[in-house]
Amino acid sequence: MTGKIRKKTPEGSPYLPVASTVEEVVPLTARERLFRLRLPLGGGGGGGVAAYGPGQFFMAGLPGYGEAPFSVASPWGGEGSLDLCIRAVGNLTNAIHRLEAGDTLWVRGPFGRGFAVEEMERSDVIFIAGGIGMVPLRSLVKTVLERRKSFGRLTLLYGSKTPEEILFKDEMPEWEKKGLDVRLTVDSPTPGWKGGVGVVTTLVPGAISDPPNTAVVITGPPVMYRFVIFAMKDIPVPAGRVYLSLERRMKCGLGKCGHCQINHLYACQEGPVFTLDELSGLTEAFS
Amino acid sequence: MKRYLFLSRKNFKALVEALLRDYSVIGTIDKEGFPAFGEIHTFNELRLSTTPTHLSAKEFLFPPREVLLKLDIEDGTHEPVLEARPQVLIGLHSCDIHAMGLMDRVFSYGTPDPNYLKRREQTVVIGTECLPDAFCFCSSLGKMTVEEGFDLFLHEVKGGFLARMGSRKGAALLRKYTSTREASPGETRELLRFREEKERLFTACINASPERLPEVYSKSDSSPVWDQIGSICYGCGSCNHVCPTCYCFDVKDEVSSDLKGGERVRTWDGCTLEDFAKVAGGHNFRSMRAKRLRHRFNRKFNYLSERFDALFCVGCGRCSRTCLVEINISKVTNRLIKEYDERARKKSDDGKDQEKDP
Repeated sequence: MTGKIRKKTPEGSPYLPVASTVEEVVPLTARERLFRLRLPLGGGGGGGVAAYGPGQFFMAGLPGYGEAPFSVASPWGGEGSLDLCIRAVGNLTNAIHRLEAGDTLWVRGPFGRGFAVEEMERSDVIFIAGGIGMVPLRSLVKTVLERRKSFGRLTLLYGSKTPEEILFKDEMPEWEKKGLDVRLTVDSPTPGWKGGVGVVTTLVPGAISDPPNTAVVITGPPVMYRFVIFAMKDIPVPAGRVYLSLERRMKCGLGKCGHCQINHLYACQEGPVFTLDELSGLTEAFS
Repeated sequence: MKRYLFLSRKNFKALVEALLRDYSVIGTIDKEGFPAFGEIHTFNELRLSTTPTHLSAKEFLFPPREVLLKLDIEDGTHEPVLEARPQVLIGLHSCDIHAMGLMDRVFSYGTPDPNYLKRREQTVVIGTECLPDAFCFCSSLGKMTVEEGFDLFLHEVKGGFLARMGSRKGAALLRKYTSTREASPGETRELLRFREEKERLFTACINASPERLPEVYSKSDSSPVWDQIGSICYGCGSCNHVCPTCYCFDVKDEVSSDLKGGERVRTWDGCTLEDFAKVAGGHNFRSMRAKRLRHRFNRKFNYLSERFDALFCVGCGRCSRTCLVEINISKVTNRLIKEYDERARKKSDDGKDQEKDP
């Protein structure tokens, strides 16, 4: 007896996304837009989404274009809103850029292990971002600033290629007002630029005043990590207090598809946030 | 003492014919002179093979292309798809059954994968006995025999088979579809004798106990062997393709020609292929073939061992058998073991020299 294919709906396929509604699209730069989404709440099998934290990610997609992982850009507010900041680089992200308020973006998540905010409490925190690495940091920075008193000195070091490419520049005065020391640097300044010039590593040595009592958070393009870690080699911040969010190709978010594997670790399960300690000796971490 | 039942050839035929009525039956068939797994419709198509098939049987549980969601692009909606049918796999060897057990762990780990598990649930596994060829090294990984993961296991003896029952389902199949008798002591002895002789037939082996391999691999990242095999590797992904425990996949949308509908499908992917670790924006975390091979070999012997409490190589030799440039997994592993042991010896000699020469 052949060809007896049974088709039936499984209870809760982990590949089935939920519909989120685009509430607002905020153009940020020539390539990046911020999508303010409204999520169905509920979590688990109820077809909704559970609470997320800074450093976690969602798979977001559109039927016909597929899915890709995106870091959460907002703090969890409890009311089911989610900001995703998306750079238009391929078919899917360009299609997402065509969405307007009221449209649907399909999401699965949240996935992965985010930043251990509690472990950073009572310490100075140095946030080091390069380019689009500012996206996951925004979620963390805003989470931390909501509980400003629980932390020591807070410093953001942020390197961009040009002043036009700086993300969330409009929000930075408010962050500064709440107690974040913002230091910006660009590779190529334009007339009128008042910040630093050069790569973000140039800002690192002067920023850490009390290394044993400091947590360092690094988010940026793959090439940045090695240089930032090198710049910190003589600064005795414990390796277990250096947090890095690693970007990898991902197809499932469930620890199955194999794409995000870094030696014995899965970026989608044990990461994408790792401590430098956890990555020590791993040949595939910064390749 | 394990219990064996004697199943005559005639009764084996009756069993297969009965199964053909109720299940899709996948067995080893002759494909242009080579043994391969394929769907059979009559008993005569079945060719039990003692040599390994070129491709593993993984495609019947984890198809090369599988629909996960049906997409309605006009409505912008998704509907989950689950394709499974009652099937029997006949002719899996010990290595194949061990491999299936590993796939079961992968797809039930963390968030279970309903597509794989539903298919697995509806699959009856009938294993058969085998003989090693020049690439088989299951024996040195402790995978020459298998104690679980099958419903029935058939050992060929004079006049028929000794059947081992691995599950209640297997025992029920024998009762329902055919007749057997208890095996005689002589028949059981014949099987034990065969096993001893089989063990001696292996020419390929791993020169260390399986428990040592994660450690050996974890200390071999800078071995020259990676650049050597990387320089000849085509990056074709054949090793991933034929491996019974390579499960990495891609997920992508395929749009119908009228642009109204489509499918979200998962397809086999391979870590030795160039784009496997490439991210948006173009950075490739493993752009070099040497690094991709190192990754693949480590996945088999090191990276997954802690998470799943097992090596992911079952010693079937398929990757070596199929490799166009003859990269041989057991030889590469032995080379790493040798380098590791030499380093350890040198270290201990250096230590002694220092003791002598304060």
